[in-house]
Amino acid sequence: MLEKTLVLAIIVQLFIASFSSLLVIGLASFFDPSALDKYNSPRSNVGIVGSGELKQFIERGHIRPHNYTNLSSAVTGFYNNEVDAIIVIPKEAANGTEIIQVMTYLPKSDIKGTLAMLQLKKPLENYEAYAQDLRTSRLGFEPIRLIVDRSPKKTSTYFEFIYGILIPLLIFTPIFISGGLIIDMLTEEYERKTLDLLLVSPLSFSEILDGKMITAIIIVPAQALLWLLLVTINGVVVNNIGLLLILSGIVAAIVVILGAMIAVRFKKRMVSQYLYSLVLIMLFLAGYLFSNSPFNLATRLSAGSIGAQALVYFGVYAAVAFGLYVGVKRMGMRG
Amino acid sequence: MMIRGLFTISKWELRRTRSTISLKIRFISIFILILIGTASFFAAQSGLHINDNIYKVVVTDESIASVIGSDSKFEVFVAEEERAKYLFEHDNFDILIIGKRIYYHNNEKSISAFDSLDKAVKRYNEASLITFNDLNNTFPVWITIDNLAREQSFLSPSMNKLPEMETETSPDTQSTTGSQSDQASSTQTAGTPVAGIPGIGTTQNARVPTLEEISGVDQISPISEQTLSTPSHLSPPIPFKSIVLSFLFIFPIYFIAQFFSSSIMEERIKRKGELLLVSPVSSAQIVLGKLLPYLLGSIALVALMTFRLGGSPWIILVVLPISLIYLSTAFLGAIIARSFKELSFVLIFLSVFLSGYIFFPAMFSNVHAISIISPMTLVVRLLENETVTITDYMFSTIPFYLVSILIFIFGIFMYREEDLFTQKTVSGKLLDSIQEFIKRAHFPLFSLSIVLIPIAFSIQMMLIVLMFNFPIRIGIVLFIIVAAFIEELVKSVGIYTAFSRKMSDATTGNALKFGILSGLGFFAGEKLLLLVVIASISSSAFGSVMGAGLLIFPLILHVTSTTVASLGIRYSGCRYYFASVILASVVHAAYNLYLVRSVILG
Repeated sequence: MLEKTLVLAIIVQLFIASFSSLLVIGLASFFDPSALDKYNSPRSNVGIVGSGELKQFIERGHIRPHNYTNLSSAVTGFYNNEVDAIIVIPKEAANGTEIIQVMTYLPKSDIKGTLAMLQLKKPLENYEAYAQDLRTSRLGFEPIRLIVDRSPKKTSTYFEFIYGILIPLLIFTPIFISGGLIIDMLTEEYERKTLDLLLVSPLSFSEILDGKMITAIIIVPAQALLWLLLVTINGVVVNNIGLLLILSGIVAAIVVILGAMIAVRFKKRMVSQYLYSLVLIMLFLAGYLFSNSPFNLATRLSAGSIGAQALVYFGVYAAVAFGLYVGVKRMGMRG
Repeated sequence: MMIRGLFTISKWELRRTRSTISLKIRFISIFILILIGTASFFAAQSGLHINDNIYKVVVTDESIASVIGSDSKFEVFVAEEERAKYLFEHDNFDILIIGKRIYYHNNEKSISAFDSLDKAVKRYNEASLITFNDLNNTFPVWITIDNLAREQSFLSPSMNKLPEMETETSPDTQSTTGSQSDQASSTQTAGTPVAGIPGIGTTQNARVPTLEEISGVDQISPISEQTLSTPSHLSPPIPFKSIVLSFLFIFPIYFIAQFFSSSIMEERIKRKGELLLVSPVSSAQIVLGKLLPYLLGSIALVALMTFRLGGSPWIILVVLPISLIYLSTAFLGAIIARSFKELSFVLIFLSVFLSGYIFFPAMFSNVHAISIISPMTLVVRLLENETVTITDYMFSTIPFYLVSILIFIFGIFMYREEDLFTQKTVSGKLLDSIQEFIKRAHFPLFSLSIVLIPIAFSIQMMLIVLMFNFPIRIGIVLFIIVAAFIEELVKSVGIYTAFSRKMSDATTGNALKFGILSGLGFFAGEKLLLLVVIASISSSAFGSVMGAGLLIFPLILHVTSTTVASLGIRYSGCRYYFASVILASVVHAAYNLYLVRSVILG
């Protein structure tokens, strides 16, 4: 008998995960043309007008060149879909002193144009490096140049997205949900007046509060573990899973206790959820403001950049959680 | 009289909300909002520390250490050569630089670190070049991009060859490009056909860039498309900043939808809303009356943001259907859920899907016409001071309007005592509303199928997103099967309601009749939609699709599969409804799979 809400929660997180992986592929391919090589995009048809040094660079690119004698014939070819981009070779020389202006024409809002531009980028960059080398030597500029035997043909976008954004997202979303959950659990008791009934039982308010909070906190590392396992099955290496689970537990404690404080103070569901959302946004933003924040720690732990040293920071966060716990207990006794 | 009742409810709704949110809470929220504003300000200044210290680098040269250290992604250590080598091998370092030579491990992290290092050094060099203040010699090459409107060739996606991965394709393959979005859309908006050569004078010169522009090359003004840049800063025209800005418009709507659903839900607990239902106002007046303040509130907030950000007032009109869809789904959630906890989950579920549907296509604004599916693209365009045509508007917003209105209609049917205050199941309540529809509408089964098309369509769009995760052949097959299931479900649900609620006798004659009617309705609605959509796009395609011969087969398909379902319900009974639907989907999917067999089998 599958609880409806559990099924929904799982479907939501599945959707988020699949959606974001799709986004990565899309975005990565736009910013790193080499990432597109895996998909073997066809060469774009590029119209070249004029001649000069730049032409040799372009012809070496991953494009199919069409030569035109003048711009208007190139434009005609463009509108006949013979070419998807036009580039006009400038008159200025690389070792000259004038700005080298390169005019390009692309189709508006057309993916063929974007592809053509991405394929032209590499030869243009090479040409720029060539011209810069010639000219900056006059200025006595020495660029920092590092040497490597063989350059790997892979980009950092994918890696940094997985560990910088996706994995923290998977770990922290259950925490946000748990915060909302504790508020619902507590305000429900207040609004339906069932709290009085509970208090008549041998349990004290303190124990009731503890029980509810523990429920909300415990499910977080459980979910985080599931997601990390899923991600591992998909081929991503996640380091320090144990430490990550502890981190998720501690941060869950902080968020859940905060939520409980709001619920105990305001007792009404709508108001509590509203304030909780605001506090959450603020914490979320603050979390991205400095290193060693929970998000950053999650990134570094999963990528393997930090190990047991993280325990120091865990200590700090645990202390915060403890302080909040004392606070909510005091509030419970008063309220 | 009808309007007056509506307004009274709205007034009461406002009064109630005002009393719930006391003065103290308003102060607290303003305080928190100020904190949020401050935090965002700092975030904008120093950037988001997302990947701080993710890579560990050991170098022997101090000067190189300071170059690399300028990028917060790297944790840099300096050591003697022997010690450095040892650390690189044994202490989890990603990059080793001895003198000027780089060494990296052959694992994913190291390679990624290498690429980031490359980018960091390039950035550093560029920054030093800028200090020379001599544009001609430091940044000699400048590219000017001129975007020409060209009518996109409307090719019905040629499904002869699929984009192959990791194999060599010959340069003259006729395949559509590797972008998978081509499959998802069979529609592309046409640019206005251009006569002559617009804007290209014979003496067109690229502008000489000013110094501000170079130093600002990294932060291109958020509202304009990039037209002038150096080669290394050439990037695709994805207007990221505009997309983020457009997100700001949607953000308040989430909150307002939350409040709306809470308000509806509250009246269901302990039958508090019963008095209202007994009063002379109709359900429609109650629901619309409650909706009004929240709808107006969201419009007001959007208007406020538009004026603060200096955008075009048309943005308000574009965001309207988005507000409607969030409010309508919040409403539906509030009617269906049995408790606040359940409501939270239902709302999260619905808003995640909606947000995905709305934001994902907008990522492709300026790049591909499929972005028109989402109204957010229109907002992005308006923010970039581009024009938006009426056809664009209608194409993106009509599904939203239709689905919202639909949800409200069915929701109003459910807004009565038996469904609000009982613990009926979700399916029970939904069938109740369908029953109401059948009782009240003309040609009920025919029009029910038509009316449910936007919902089927939207779910299928979301399916496409999910199917991207699978290798392409499996994805297509899965999509066809699940899409068929959804369509059969939609077509047969009216028949199921009619039989299970004993609205008509479950005879073979009726089963046949209903099957044909329902299938006919779906077919008619589908083709009508296609007509409207395609006619607004290209006259040539219109002709080829509407050839009469082509229409017969889909008609037969829809009628046949629905009749299979209805006969199934007739003979196996209402208890095995899903089995009947599955049978019908098999028929439907088989037909579709047969059509694309050449693609799948390669």
